[in-house]
Formats: sequence, structure tokens, C-alpha cells
Amino acid sequence: MPARHLIIGGGTAGMNAMRTIREEEKERSELTLVSAEKPYSRMVLPYYLDRSIAESHVFTATAGVLAEWGVKAHLGRRAASLDTKANVCTLDDGTTIAYDDCLIATGSSPVKAPVPGADGRGVHSFWTLDECRRLIADTRPGSHVVMVGAGFIAFTILNSILARGATLTIVEIAPRILPRMIDATGADVVEAWLRKHGVTIRTDARLAHIEDVPGARGSKTIRKRLRFAKGADIVADVVIMATGIRANLEWLKGAGLRIDQGIVVDDHLRSTVPNVYAAGDVAEGRELISGASVVHAIEPTAQEHGRVVGANMAGRQVPYRGSLSMNIVEVCHLDIASFGAWDDPKAEAVTGVKSDRSAYRKLLWTGDRLTGAIIVGLSSAIWTTNDIGMLKGLVHSQVSLARFKDYLRKNPFDIKPAYIASKATSKLLPQTVLGRPSKAPGTTPVAV
Amino acid sequence: MRILKIMPEKCTGCLRCEIACSYMQTGTFQPAKSVIRVSPFEGHTSYAPYTCPQCAEGWCMTACPVGAITINAAGAKDVLDDTCVGCKLCTIACPYGTMFYDPDTRKAFKCNLCGGDPACAQACPTAAITYDDVPTVDWLGDFAAERTTRLLAGVR
Ligand SMILES: Cc1cc2nc3c(=O)[nH]c(=O)nc-3n(C[C@H](O)[C@H](O)[C@H](O)COP(=O)(O)OP(=O)(O)OC[C@H]3O[C@@H](n4cnc5c(N)ncnc54)[C@H](O)[C@@H]3O)c2cc1C
Ligand code: SF4
Ligand code: SF4
Repeated sequence: MPARHLIIGGGTAGMNAMRTIREEEKERSELTLVSAEKPYSRMVLPYYLDRSIAESHVFTATAGVLAEWGVKAHLGRRAASLDTKANVCTLDDGTTIAYDDCLIATGSSPVKAPVPGADGRGVHSFWTLDECRRLIADTRPGSHVVMVGAGFIAFTILNSILARGATLTIVEIAPRILPRMIDATGADVVEAWLRKHGVTIRTDARLAHIEDVPGARGSKTIRKRLRFAKGADIVADVVIMATGIRANLEWLKGAGLRIDQGIVVDDHLRSTVPNVYAAGDVAEGRELISGASVVHAIEPTAQEHGRVVGANMAGRQVPYRGSLSMNIVEVCHLDIASFGAWDDPKAEAVTGVKSDRSAYRKLLWTGDRLTGAIIVGLSSAIWTTNDIGMLKGLVHSQVSLARFKDYLRKNPFDIKPAYIASKATSKLLPQTVLGRPSKAPGTTPVAV
Repeated sequence: MRILKIMPEKCTGCLRCEIACSYMQTGTFQPAKSVIRVSPFEGHTSYAPYTCPQCAEGWCMTACPVGAITINAAGAKDVLDDTCVGCKLCTIACPYGTMFYDPDTRKAFKCNLCGGDPACAQACPTAAITYDDVPTVDWLGDFAAERTTRLLAGVR
């Protein structure tokens, strides 16, 4: 009998797992997908929001493609419970699916700040395609958009909101913007840049209450008044809450999996129940450099997790080396990137600022190795992009930079000689995630 | 697979590869848009060109959320302009610093081996860059390690 693989969640991790199963398997397996939404990429939504792509561009597979891959798809259905003793998943409509092994890749959901009025009309989250459609419908040229939260996800849609002709105010409870992506000095550089580009920013702002502003009689549009613990109210046409996310794990109550920050997985991404894997935002797995158990709710981790799970489900034994935290976002032509342990208080930090060019660097050292970095710089400066990659490579490869440490201390903007001379390239060239060259991502998975 | 073999000892720093590359890739003579980059070493006494080694993993390709990076007929990882949304994830995924981004078009770009007839190799007058069927190795590491001595001596 062919193996029966069940994939729960058709986002980034789920799609990568299915593709890899088809690439790796010796014998065609039965592949079933249950997904609450059609497969699409969330991180592409900002480009649909600003109308630079059509809605169809966000989808990572159509029903036709899934059929071609031989996937039996239950789209628009949710997994409601998992019986890991009987190896059966029950869906929200009562359908039961028996499996030999399964992957939990149900991602995250947005969480709104717990204030009165947060659930009212005109208060948006931005995480799903449906939410993106609603925001498009509500945002017009001249609209005043208030973003609650100045984190990474808020910043991924900043350009799109401005491109729609709206004016933008960002309010943040922390004393500074991007508190979980860059340090305070970097945040100052970015904040100054955004103010110069017409974005209003209010930090240390604790939202207390959102209420409707009574409009003209018969008017269909509603405006919103945001009240704060202290300071003036703000009136908005559109409110977006980018106040955090939570992994979709509630439905796993009673499944018997160990769940800490996420579903705890071993170096093959198996949960404490060996034929149940977890990947992406829901998984707590190995970190690349420290080996610690972490949740990295980012796209590259979901991709790598998904591919490693796919190879293991297909019968290979592929250990995962671990995920590296990495983020990049561009706002008004300023690049902001960080990776690795950029906020490690034990690391030795070297910084450099070029205020006239809005450029900032922070290199974090553990002994002779780089374990984290922050870069802020103009996206028109090609060197910013190249240095982002090279710094990532230095952290990723963990080459010794003993010879260059003093030089980089004084010249944190001159990465290239250190990168090339430290032979990061020779250390990186043999590395692959699946122990073989990657396949191109065309519509049909190519067998290895 | 044929790849760009780089022999840094032969490079004179004439930058013809950068000019040829930018012309081939963008139709303009703009070294700023070249995806092969000549770096000076030891106070401009020696030079070496650096570009994408077409690594086996293809971190750029596997990271792209919309599958905009594929493998072309020459075996090079290649960006499909119509599919790229400009999210820059590939620029942070590639650990070699060889993904580029054009702020004018809002697309990523990279070395695609010119589809099998690389302009840089053709333009190089000293054959510091050749297009050969050899395994990819770290062409510049030893050269650069040697030619950073003076740079480092200046630090202390
Ligand atoms: C606007 C935006 C911008 C982003 N930008 C970036 C970025 O630039 N870089 C980056 O690294 N990350 C970014 N992210 C985060 C990134 O999209 C996620 O980390 C990634 O999608 C996680 O993949 P996943 O497979 O774990 O989950 P998802 O891609 O969220 O997929 C989960 C799937 O499971 C389905 N599902 C949920 N519950 C159930 C259930 N009970 N039963 C069945 N199916 C279920 C969902 O409908 C969905 O299809 C961004 C996210 C957003 C929203
Ligand atoms: S910038 Fe383009 S090619 Fe690079 S990851 Fe994003 S969509 Fe893919
Ligand atoms: S651009 Fe970077 S990740 Fe992509 S193939 Fe070249 S070296 Fe590999």
C-alpha cells in the first residue's frame, strides 16, 4: 500500500513539504492536504495591496496544479482535532482522514491589542488575503491610516499604504519603533528617515480605547477615534492593528504533543509523536548557531522546515542544521535588515553610523565569529545589498574572522575584504539543506 | 556544467567585465548595474572580480516566495522579471552577497551566465575570467587572504 501523507496547512511550509515529497519519493504516495485557505504566500500580500501585482499572483498553487501533483485537497476546511493514537485527523465538517504520517503547518493568526473597540468595523488586521482585500476596499487616496504597532509586519506594508495615497500615522507602545528587529540606535536612524518622508510616528503610546466618530447623517463611511492612556486622541479613517501574532495550535488540545513556545520538534522536525511532524510558524526547532530550541516565525524557516519534513516523509533521513533568524524590509527606499543574535547582550558589539547617509551597522561578535548583525542603509547604494548578503554569509558560515576583527572594529562598513579573505565561500559551497542540489520551483516538481 | 572560472592573479582591474555585464544585463553601460564586481586589494595594487558561484543550494531560489528564481538552460539561477515582486528576501538569503536589487524597476537581479555566453568572460582581455566546465571552488579566498596583509598591518 502506498504511504499516506497528510499535510495540514497549505501555506509556505506545507507547500514546500508537498513539493519535496514529490521530488524525493521512490514510489508515488497518497498525498492529502487540508487547508483553511487556498495556498498563497502571505509575504506577497503587500505587493497586492499596492497594486503592483494582480491578486492571482499571490497564489502558490491553483486547484489545477494541486491535481497535477496528485494532491487530494480539502480547501476551506480546518483540521479540528488530531488523534495521534488512532492516526486520524477530524475536520471541522466531521470528515475524518487516516494517515501514516502527518505534518502540522497551520501557521499563525494576528492578535489585536486587547482594547475596547478593537473588534469594531474599520479596525483591520493584516495577515490573510481576506484581510488584504478588506483593507484595499477601505483605503482611498487621502485616507488617514493609523497603524497600531511598529513591528516588522507593520513595516512590510508601510510603502504600500503610502503608495495608495494615504497618509500614515504609526503608534507604538514601546519607546521606539521596530523593537524586535533592530536596536535603539538603528531605530533612531529609521525613525528620522520616516519623519522626513512624511510619516507621523508616536512612540510610548498606550492605546486605551477605539470608538466610532459620529459621521454626517446618512454617511456610510465611519471614522475612528483612538484614545490613549496619555496624550491627544487621533482620528483615523482606517485603523490597522499590527500588534503581534499567535501560532495556530488551539485545535491540538489533547493530541498529546509537547508544546512549549511552539510544537517541540527534534532535528528531523518530528514532534514528540514520531509520525507527526511540525514546520514553520508552529514549530519550535533547532537554531543554526546556538542549537537552542526556538520559534522563528519567518518565511525562510517555513521553507527550510517544509523541505526537510518533505524529504523525511518521503523516506530519506535528513537532519536539519537549524534556522537562522533573518529579516529585511525596505521603507521609502531605506533598507533595514537584521539577522542572527542581533540583540544578544553577551555579544561584543561594534557599531558604525553615517548619519548623513542614514546608514547604520552593528556587528555582534562571539569570540572571533560574527553571531548577529544589523544593517540600515539606502537601497540605492548597491553596497548595502551586497553587504547584507555577505554579513549574512559570515553569520551563517561561522568562519573565524580572527585576522579581521580589529579591522572590522574600525571599518564596519568595509565587509568585502574580510568576507573574501576569510574563505567563507569555501565553507558555504558544500552546504545544501537537503544534501543535494536544489530543484527549480516550476509548476511540476521534478523527481531527483 | 560550465561556470565562470576566475583567476584573480590575471586581473588588471580594467573593469571591462563590469561594463560588458551591465550592457548585457540592462542595455546600458553602467557598472553600477553589473552583477560581477571587481574589488581592489592592498590599496589598488591588485584586483579580483567576484560574482555568483551558482551555488548548489541556490539559497536565493529556494527562498523566493513566488518561485521567481529558476534554473536556466545554462544551469544558472535566473530571476524571472515578471514573477519577481521585489520583496528582497533573496538578497538576505544568499550568503555570498551576490543578489542585486534595482530600485528603479523594483526587481532583484543576478548573474545568469548570460544564458550560456557570459559577456564578462568574452570581454576580459587577460582571461582572468573564463567560461569552463570545471567544478566551482572558492577562486578568490587564497588570493585575498594574501593580499589583505598590508590592509591589516595598517590597523594596528
Ligand atoms: C504581510 C506579511 C508580510 C510578511 N513578510 C515577511 C517577510 O518579508 N519575511 C519573512 O520572513 N516573513 C514574512 N512574513 C511571515 C511569513 O509569511 C510567515 O512566517 C510564513 O507564511 C509562515 O509559513 P507557515 O507555512 O508556517 O504558515 P502560513 O504560510 O501562514 O500557512 C498556514 C496555513 O495553514 C492554514 N490553517 C490554519 N489553521 C488551520 C487548520 N486548523 N486546519 C487547516 N489549515 C489551517 C492557513 O489557512 C494557511 O493556509 C509576512 C507575513 C505577512 C502577513
Ligand atoms: S525579490 Fe524577487 S526574486 Fe527575490 S525573493 Fe523577492 S520575489 Fe523572489
Ligand atoms: S545568488 Fe547566491 S544563493 Fe543564488 S545561486 Fe548565486 S550564490 Fe547561490
